[in-house]
Amino acid sequence: MQHRCFGRYWGLKFKSSFLCLIAVGLCFSPMLAQADFEHEVLPFLEKHCVKCHGGEKTKGDVDLSKIKTMADADSHPDLWETVSFVLEDREMPPEDEAQPTEEEVAVFSKWYKNDYLGKIESKPGIFQPRRLSGPEYRNTMRSLFGFDLEVNVVEAEQTITEKSLVMKLLPTDPPGASGFVNDTRAARLSTTIWDQYSYLADFALEQFSSKRTGPLNSETAEKLVRDFVPRAFRRPVSEDRFSGILKKLEGKSGDALEVALKAELKTVLMSPAFLYRGFLMPTDPKRKRQPVDDFELAERLSYFIWEDMPDRELFEIAGSGELKQPEVMAAQIDRMIASPKSRTLAESFGSQWLLLDQIKDQRNDPVNLKALKNQPLDFLHYLFAENRPVMELVDSKVTFANDITAKYYGNDRKQLKRVNKPKGVERMATPNQKIDLITSVGERGGIITMPGVLAMNEGPIQRGTWMLRQLLGEHLGEPPPDIPPIQSSSKGKNLSFRERFEQHRSDKSCALCHDKIDPLGFALEGYNKAGDVIRKEPTKKKGGIEKVSKVDTSGQMPNGKAFANFTELKSILMTDEREKITRNAIEQTMAYALCRKLERGDRPTVDALTTKILDENGTWRDLIHGIANSVPFRETLNVKKTLAK
Amino acid sequence: MTRTWNTSRRHFLRGAAGALVPLPFLNIMENTAAKNLAGEVEAPLRFMTLFKPNGVHPPSWNINGGTESDFRMSPLMAPFSKHKDDLLILDNMGDFGFSSHANSARRFLAGQSNNTKAASMDQFIADKIGGDTPTRSLELTTEGLFTNQIGCSYISYDQKGDPIPRESDPQLIFDRLFRNPMGDPAQRKKMTNLLDRVSDDAKSIQRKSGREDSETLDEYFTVLRETEQRLENMGDTSAATKVDFTKLKRPLPAANLDEQVETMLDLVALAMWTDQTRCISYMLGNSNSRMIFDFLGVTEQHHYLSHFFRNFSRHNIDGLLKISLWHMEKFDYLLTKLKSYKDHNGTLLDNSIVLFGSGMGHSDNHTAQRIPIVLAGNGGGRLKTGRYLRYSENQDLSRLHLTLMRQFGVDIPSYGEATEALPGLDGGEFDQFEERPFDSWTKVEGGKLTVQGRLRMSENLDEAKVFYMDVAGQDSVRIEIEFRDFHSFNFPYHVGTPITLTGTVSEKNGRQVMSKISTLKSVFGNSKPGTRNG
Repeated sequence: MQHRCFGRYWGLKFKSSFLCLIAVGLCFSPMLAQADFEHEVLPFLEKHCVKCHGGEKTKGDVDLSKIKTMADADSHPDLWETVSFVLEDREMPPEDEAQPTEEEVAVFSKWYKNDYLGKIESKPGIFQPRRLSGPEYRNTMRSLFGFDLEVNVVEAEQTITEKSLVMKLLPTDPPGASGFVNDTRAARLSTTIWDQYSYLADFALEQFSSKRTGPLNSETAEKLVRDFVPRAFRRPVSEDRFSGILKKLEGKSGDALEVALKAELKTVLMSPAFLYRGFLMPTDPKRKRQPVDDFELAERLSYFIWEDMPDRELFEIAGSGELKQPEVMAAQIDRMIASPKSRTLAESFGSQWLLLDQIKDQRNDPVNLKALKNQPLDFLHYLFAENRPVMELVDSKVTFANDITAKYYGNDRKQLKRVNKPKGVERMATPNQKIDLITSVGERGGIITMPGVLAMNEGPIQRGTWMLRQLLGEHLGEPPPDIPPIQSSSKGKNLSFRERFEQHRSDKSCALCHDKIDPLGFALEGYNKAGDVIRKEPTKKKGGIEKVSKVDTSGQMPNGKAFANFTELKSILMTDEREKITRNAIEQTMAYALCRKLERGDRPTVDALTTKILDENGTWRDLIHGIANSVPFRETLNVKKTLAK
Repeated sequence: MTRTWNTSRRHFLRGAAGALVPLPFLNIMENTAAKNLAGEVEAPLRFMTLFKPNGVHPPSWNINGGTESDFRMSPLMAPFSKHKDDLLILDNMGDFGFSSHANSARRFLAGQSNNTKAASMDQFIADKIGGDTPTRSLELTTEGLFTNQIGCSYISYDQKGDPIPRESDPQLIFDRLFRNPMGDPAQRKKMTNLLDRVSDDAKSIQRKSGREDSETLDEYFTVLRETEQRLENMGDTSAATKVDFTKLKRPLPAANLDEQVETMLDLVALAMWTDQTRCISYMLGNSNSRMIFDFLGVTEQHHYLSHFFRNFSRHNIDGLLKISLWHMEKFDYLLTKLKSYKDHNGTLLDNSIVLFGSGMGHSDNHTAQRIPIVLAGNGGGRLKTGRYLRYSENQDLSRLHLTLMRQFGVDIPSYGEATEALPGLDGGEFDQFEERPFDSWTKVEGGKLTVQGRLRMSENLDEAKVFYMDVAGQDSVRIEIEFRDFHSFNFPYHVGTPITLTGTVSEKNGRQVMSKISTLKSVFGNSKPGTRNG
């Protein structure tokens, strides 16, 4: 049974199903392709594919029988990447069917690359207004009011506290189709969330008024309103709107003014214009497609890099109309990356992309957990903020460690400066320090072999799957539900887990995915469950005889490249797999920046940026600039108006 | 917690008993209380419990000697000694052996640490009486979760024995009790106005919007409609919610733990008095609290200090005692607060049972014996207070719990390992601890003083090096011990027990004072207990 699907742009990211190949309904205009789809590609499909994927059988829910013209082909944008993949990897047709010749495959590939991909037009998506995610709401409220909404709880060492009232009260947002929680299209507003918004607004306004210094009179109230409302809506507000608010305050003073002001500000905080992004951008109904205005652009930048509303400087530049000048824009992006607020790129984007929330400590100890989690986060922040090459994600000569994670770094740990615990504090989370990897660079350089990352994935299969999905960006399906358990070693044979697992997955349909997963995962067999390097091969005493179970870290990539251990695999990742990893990094960042799943019109941006980063050993800064200057980020498609209800 | 401490932040409920509380409240209790057979209004009975983390430092906590009605409260009890008549101090509570921190938290309200499949006693009480009030019960704390041993963070458990989430923030509790947005007509009206206004906003956006926007707006409009519907459905509810709470001032955010706890205790008393709830459990910290009491000038963690032998130094003992005294002051604060509210024919405390204590005794060696347990309030005449009950044998906390639950009408044959009530709480008979008699005397020989009697700490815990030997028929002998002797004779180990002590003698203000010790002998026990984990 085939249980996989590719389609990097359209396949579901985490839990793709058997259905994911055809579930598309994007609107884009069909375009003219020059190559002869009907005479060159169609006969090939009919000869090799339609038997199982069309008409009577539609395995994997792929039905090619209805695709007869180039226009049909264009309306299944996800399909061709998958077809191209399975043909190039010789996964399809299955071994027991007649195989296409090299020439036949080449004809398809040529059509796919030149006539299909080559002619995709770069296009913006439709920016759908969407509710602020929990973290965005938390940060926006903080920036708007100038203080955090905090829970009164004592934060002692070794305890876990939720200090943010917003995060404590709002339900956790599910990730959207893009895999990121800022993609809130599916996280609908509910009455529960409404009540919490209402409560949080009251809570903030109460604190706001108690922190106010100076008198409240009609003059100061007006000043406050004129400052607060545009910042809350992240764009200038009409004089009408102001006068509507000010009218409600007119003639009031003292407590009555206070109460009226609170009610007005609460109306702002509960308005869709505050709670959602994208409602207020002016659009030109005569144009199908247009650049977003400066305030929308500022908002896109600040929610991308800071997960927060624009600060005063960015807001003012948007107001001056200069943001779109390339040097101004570039300077703003650099300023934002340099700000400590860009840490959210690591903590939200990086953590969600690489599933770092799954890092656990076996003893559930918050001090250990913090040490294990902060390591990849500090590392990602360093890559993003300090202009490091994109590929250093996979291999780097730098890491971050504290007294707890020091033990993983051999002699390199001697670079750590001693942090003295205050007297009377039994255990505490100490901050990470940056160290150079000299002796341990092979074993420890890059994100894959960070102890927390190794430990969060149990066993070679999970580790391999994580690398394949999160780093190489492959969209594996879920394993079928009816897999028998792995056989235990039969009597007289001393088979390793790897040998037993190889028997277990020898079935052809298993091999489709496991040929890719297993070599990656087993290459990490030199690290134990806790992420330690296994220095001595584990021995088992059986009937008085010591049996050594050999750690086998060798393997072969699907393209035939062999490696003996993880260090060699890492060099393959840095060379042969460089393009895949770079492309995936770009796609992930872009989906986060756009708060949506990527679409067909994003493809040219990804292609161009991939080429640029590969050619120049580009950095994360280049990548961020590239995305911020791309068509999908800077433009919008105007959708057809319908009459309001 | 570095901000300066500012008591004015909290004064929303301060001052004379409920002076800031609006008038209609005075009738609340009349409305909600039950009538007894004679038609008299009976005050409802309330239950509160205050949990002290990290056991105690026994030399300063234990009462030694004395009788049921004639006893000297220990130095640590000083902050609440003014409530002596309202207290029932229990001694020899606990079970055999040693206790982990997680076990001690479970034991505190569930009788035994292995009683893990049952509700804690406060929840039995809440099940019984919680339905009569808008809020069934409150489970409160100060500190985050200790996930490494999660049991350290909970004293209240549900019927399956699973921990009940706790709340630490006084503002959230205030809002839950007194600012329910659907609760009173004024709040409902505010929300209705808001709905109208934001709906206008949304409509104006809709006029300009495209199809995709419209879909998103639909979800917004749906929520507005549903909220409106909910407001309409909220008719008049119970009597209590008719009361206008809007005049109560909401507490400001607390600047430190002290403000946080006092504000919460203010709310505990107010919630009880306004009959918003009748059952509250409150942890002053996790059972192994790692909190730092910097506002007391103590920079070491509480748990670290609580191991006062393992981490022995005079400085550490000082820190530990400062923290312990602070716990006692909060207990006093609660009692004073409860007494300040008139409730029917007495005070709120008279119609309450307050359980204060810990789940372990000795904080350094974690014994589950002589666990500090103090009851306050006579529960509307159900308990006979003003006494010190030292049982002849260890009494499982579950016996106490069974007894208290029955006072609240919980009808269960047994709880934990207890099948019988704990005797003596109501003034009935109980087996009292009997000490072996010993003589006490002083004699001076060759310029040296020998004194036999009971050793105790100074009541002034700031005088860390001052101890006293009580001798019948004469003034106590004052011991001003040097650090060396304190340590080499393991002085605190002997506190509360009779010893024979020889050393230098001098006289100050007509009292004999000893400062250099040459020998120490225990009258009954082991003179040399070892230097660690004594």
